[in-house]
Amino acid sequence: MADSSAPKPSSSVKLVLLGEAAVGKSSLVLRFVNDDFQPNKEPTIGAAFLTQKCQLPTRTIKFEIWDTAGQERFASLAPMYYRNAQAALVVYDITKESSLVKAKHWVAELQRQASPGIVIALVGNKLDLCEDDEEAAEEESSGASATAAADDEEGEESEAAAESTENNDEGNNSTARKVSLKEAKSYADEENLLFFETSAKSGHNVGEVFTAIANAIPETSLKGRNAGAAAGAGTQAALTGANENSRVNLNAASGDGGPKEGCAC
Amino acid sequence: MESLHGSDWDLVIAGTGLAPSLFALAVSRSGLRILHVDHHEYYGGDEAALSLSEAEAWAAAHSGDSKEDTSTSTAFAPRCFSHATVTRIDDGGEGANLPRRLGPQRAYSLALAPQIIYSRSNLVSALVSSHTHSQLEFQAVGSWFLASGSSSSPNLSRVPGGREDVFQDATLDLHAKRSLMKFLRFVGNYEEKENEWREWKDLPLPTALEQKFGLPPAFHGPLIALTLSASLPNDITAAEALPRVARHLRSIGIFGAGFAAVFPKFGGLAEVAQIACRACAVGGGVYVLGKGVSSVDETPGDDLTLQLSGGETVTTKRLVGSLGDLPLAVTNNTAWRTLVRGIYIVSGPLSPLFPSTSEGGVTPAGAVVVVPSTSEPAGPPIHILAHSSESGDCPSAQCVLYASTILSETTGSEDVDVDAMHRLDDAVALVLRSTLTTPTDGGESNAECSQLQVLWKLHYRHAVPQRQSSERHEGDGRILTLPHVSLDLALEDSVLGNVESVWAKAIEGEEQGRFLRFESRGGMGDDE
Ligand SMILES: Nc1nc2c(ncn2[C@@H]2O[C@H](COP(=O)(O)OP(=O)(O)OP(=O)(O)O)[C@@H](O)[C@H]2O)c(=O)[nH]1
Ligand SMILES: [Mg+2]
Repeated sequence: MADSSAPKPSSSVKLVLLGEAAVGKSSLVLRFVNDDFQPNKEPTIGAAFLTQKCQLPTRTIKFEIWDTAGQERFASLAPMYYRNAQAALVVYDITKESSLVKAKHWVAELQRQASPGIVIALVGNKLDLCEDDEEAAEEESSGASATAAADDEEGEESEAAAESTENNDEGNNSTARKVSLKEAKSYADEENLLFFETSAKSGHNVGEVFTAIANAIPETSLKGRNAGAAAGAGTQAALTGANENSRVNLNAASGDGGPKEGCAC
Repeated sequence: MESLHGSDWDLVIAGTGLAPSLFALAVSRSGLRILHVDHHEYYGGDEAALSLSEAEAWAAAHSGDSKEDTSTSTAFAPRCFSHATVTRIDDGGEGANLPRRLGPQRAYSLALAPQIIYSRSNLVSALVSSHTHSQLEFQAVGSWFLASGSSSSPNLSRVPGGREDVFQDATLDLHAKRSLMKFLRFVGNYEEKENEWREWKDLPLPTALEQKFGLPPAFHGPLIALTLSASLPNDITAAEALPRVARHLRSIGIFGAGFAAVFPKFGGLAEVAQIACRACAVGGGVYVLGKGVSSVDETPGDDLTLQLSGGETVTTKRLVGSLGDLPLAVTNNTAWRTLVRGIYIVSGPLSPLFPSTSEGGVTPAGAVVVVPSTSEPAGPPIHILAHSSESGDCPSAQCVLYASTILSETTGSEDVDVDAMHRLDDAVALVLRSTLTTPTDGGESNAECSQLQVLWKLHYRHAVPQRQSSERHEGDGRILTLPHVSLDLALEDSVLGNVESVWAKAIEGEEQGRFLRFESRGGMGDDE
């Protein structure tokens, strides 16, 4: 792996995923971490914790990812995940309009409650379900008409679209999309969010989201977070100019054996 | 939102303070159906860390006397916090330069009851064995200082942390070095020498140091500082002091040269509590804030029926909670131990407090400053836990000082508070001034410090029952209680010890010996 060569400064970034149930949060993480996809991913219970490294030209970012449950029942869980998070990925499903409403709610809550410098990315997932308008969409075209028409038929249509993951490659193109690229993009611009449309199924744009977040984390908030990677922090830290480093590595305990070793007495 | 009304659980946990949260972590893989509630709107209970605006709201809610104050649910035990007042010195005046202003309110994470964690604590090993440590960022408490002198000639001296430091300390003469060494060596394995110190175990520490080790009073300060005892020096017995000094010496160098203690970034123990709750949520635990247990029906034979503060009723096989979170009759005439605490946000980095303890080692984000009483007769010392901005408690170029001093038991009058608050203010002022006269590590100029001032402060009382039975079984053991975390400056191993004994009862012996020993959940790629 890349980190076996010359050591790059390494920093950890705490990232939280938020969004309505079944929009594909866990699937995005699974794609990013394992490059895998499960057509019938079960709902997340509570939350899940995963880590993945992201190599930038000049540094390594270790994402500590908290994937939360969209169907959280009492709205008491999310605060303990976004507290102190440096990045948040707010996900909606482009085939389900209500999921964007929920996403906006999360963005507002983050802006109100999370750390002031938090980097927020808005992600419209399940782009593969709208393959046909994908290209048009990427050219910044007027997908808006699809949204306007969608209002009266949301419920059943979008359910059907979300469940048709197996045989979706043809047929339900323009009707599948319920949130236009333009609408979401202009909202993201207004709120100063990173914005992507992705497919956890095809992998489209998934890596890009995380790289963009890694690049958007201000250097200043990485300063002093040079974790020096997990093992061998001593030498590693020395090599990477760890004067800025304030992180204590609990794995590096000297003298696990007896109370005498590494002790001044 | 769903209603909890009528739901049935294997286990209800009340309170998200450190102890009940660690308990939640311990049962996070048990497969039990768990409901975890807290009547606060935030996590962490008495150990919470709050943003600036949360802290101000908290102060308003805790401004009164704990006995009269019934602003929240009367069902709960007398509240630990009272007499809170906020003073905002930052006037935000025109032209004030940035470092002298408060930052965004959410850039602060102020701990209500901060504690340091000695490297050898059982909590540290438990966090590692439960694979939760990787979700926390630990930082070093680098140095212990003694602050003394007057405001015109303040003096800040670093306490030698161990034998190496003593050797190198140029301020000590040969005789003092020898005596100190003798004492430190003795403490190193004091348990084995109990027959030597048994007969003088009740001597006050200063007397023992002088009589048994030939240490003149001038050298007592540093050793008393290492005990972190809130008591008057003459009230600390040798038997109390030995284990305290030993835990310090034995923790030095475990996680890096020259430092003995750590604390989690972003609000300390509150962060540990939240990580623990997250782990329980990952295991399927259901979390509800803003809801407490307001009454318990213990009809024998049936499941417990709990009334929640929102009016819902739930049933559960077992109820576990901290004493302050359960609607239990408090044993009357309990004596309380009370600290007056002050949290100070300071407009400068105070870098002289955070020197590196070894070349190439971590940069400490914490320091302990002990300010002994100078009055006649001597009063209790003031302890100041300093957190640099690296701790995540405040924006860069600022600092948070957590000051505390014990309040003598016989007090009801407000004057005592005012007096203690003034003593804390004076101690903080002394420390600020002393950092101006101490050359910083890199010889950098102290120009920025010339503007040093307190921007914001919060004073309050923090009381904990003096004798808490370590765990109390109500009736047939379906209710298990966890005591309050002590007022000590260092986390005591008994906190996790109590959690373990409650855990052993709650899981009924199935997983004995597996307390907080978990397989990794496979953070790399496998989310089950
Ligand atoms: N076609 C398609 N299906 C997807 C995509 N991403 C996720 N899915 C499917 O959508 C369903 C829900 O995905 P999850 O990743 O479990 O959604 P989640 O947001 O984590 O859901 P909760 O954990 O309940 O909050 C699963 O059946 C996935 O296979 C995608 O990009 N395209
Ligand atoms: Mg999920």
